[in-house]
Amino acid sequence: MVLIVNEVFDDAEHESPEHPERPGRVQAAMAGVADLHLGEDLVVAPRHSATRAELLRVHAGGYLDELGAYCYGGGGDIDQDTYATYDSWSIATLSAGAGLSVVAELQRRGEGVGFVAARPPGHHALKDRAMGFCLLNNVAVTAAALVNQGERVAIIDWDVHHGNGTQQIFWDEPNVLYASMHQWPLFPGSGAASEVGGRSALGATINVPLPEGATGDATRRALDEVIAPAVDAFGPTWVLVSAGFDAHRLDPMADLCLSDADYGDLAARVSRFVDGPGRLAFFLEGGYEFGALRASVASTLSAVLDAGFSGEPRSNGGPGYEQINRVKTQRLAAIESWTREYEKEGQS
Amino acid sequence: MNQVTSIAVGFDGSVESETALRWAAGMAHESGASLTVVHASGILERLGSAFDPDVVPEAVESIMAQEGIDPSRYHWVIEEGDACSALLACASPPVNAQVLVVGSRGHGKRPGTMIGSVSLEVVQHAKVPVVVVPGS
Repeated sequence: MVLIVNEVFDDAEHESPEHPERPGRVQAAMAGVADLHLGEDLVVAPRHSATRAELLRVHAGGYLDELGAYCYGGGGDIDQDTYATYDSWSIATLSAGAGLSVVAELQRRGEGVGFVAARPPGHHALKDRAMGFCLLNNVAVTAAALVNQGERVAIIDWDVHHGNGTQQIFWDEPNVLYASMHQWPLFPGSGAASEVGGRSALGATINVPLPEGATGDATRRALDEVIAPAVDAFGPTWVLVSAGFDAHRLDPMADLCLSDADYGDLAARVSRFVDGPGRLAFFLEGGYEFGALRASVASTLSAVLDAGFSGEPRSNGGPGYEQINRVKTQRLAAIESWTREYEKEGQS
Repeated sequence: MNQVTSIAVGFDGSVESETALRWAAGMAHESGASLTVVHASGILERLGSAFDPDVVPEAVESIMAQEGIDPSRYHWVIEEGDACSALLACASPPVNAQVLVVGSRGHGKRPGTMIGSVSLEVVQHAKVPVVVVPGS
């Protein structure tokens, strides 16, 4: 099977001294791709900067104007975590367009798996605000383009932080399912099991908060018992993965304890959600320890390409496994409660 | 207006947030309201220089003492997330703040730009009165 990649490699000018979201991340991720020795099965998609029309599907026009002006005014710190430079606008629009280009190549070929190795990451970017290192919501831009083509898109987010931006953008969109498993409590503070989507998309937002120290067994159970049934009921025609690798045990940003092999397990499971070939793409989100990032990317892509990468063993035995039952209960109760609420509103 | 019994103020350690805290402390002193000092913990705080939820920052203690606010009348709270959401949440239980106070600019904001402005976000979304305190 071919791997379609789009690497935003000229990202060196989006950098801030000592900030962990830095250009070497893409190089580490691409080193993981190189470790698979794919030869002619590795295809590079053309570069594409997302157009204003493509960005407007998920971001407010005023925000795009402000962000562009801020960057071209020299940039600076946007908040305590997030920065922009003079070049950030051009790099961010390339990152936001990278997924579109990968998807177009997958559609042209009708086969393969996509990998978008681009930064800055995107899943915290809200409709009208940058935050959490993210300027434009890359995965959302691609998902919205697919919805515009009449597709139904499942976004699976396994970054250690909840993807509050993606959730907000598609909260009430019935053609997008958003499922996240993440450490909680942790930045950005959202992602409770009771957050289940808006009136038009009730149940199409799925959150599985996991405690500090959780290992791969808890994420496997979350995917199998909470996310998979919802995805099956939704029936996606495309699956996009917000693939952050900061839940790895070596990553300094959080306290989940996944191994390289766990990411391969998750990828193999997610690939079974796909309705036909050429309809699965991974988007780099977090992941700040270069060695862990490289191995985790290799493990993830190897699992779906059957490339034979061998990394660490799977992890087991941390907290969180039993918590999945509570997540199921809270989620069900929230859906029932909102259903009753909406029925009441409909009758009045 | 009803008697104000609960006030919340955002604090990020910047000079602007200290000015806002001083204003909020003054209001608490005059009204007898309790004061919640809330800090939003971003991603990078994981890497060091984080505030401790169990230790009130020296700057906060000092301002409170100068404004005559007894330690029993204020609470130091750290919330995971962005500064806007953390402050807005204070208008709901358990804090139930009737007034939110925020500095006009926090860490790193460039003058003359709206992007990332916590104060504007809070003003746009708050369901209770908001006081935006200009920097000194």
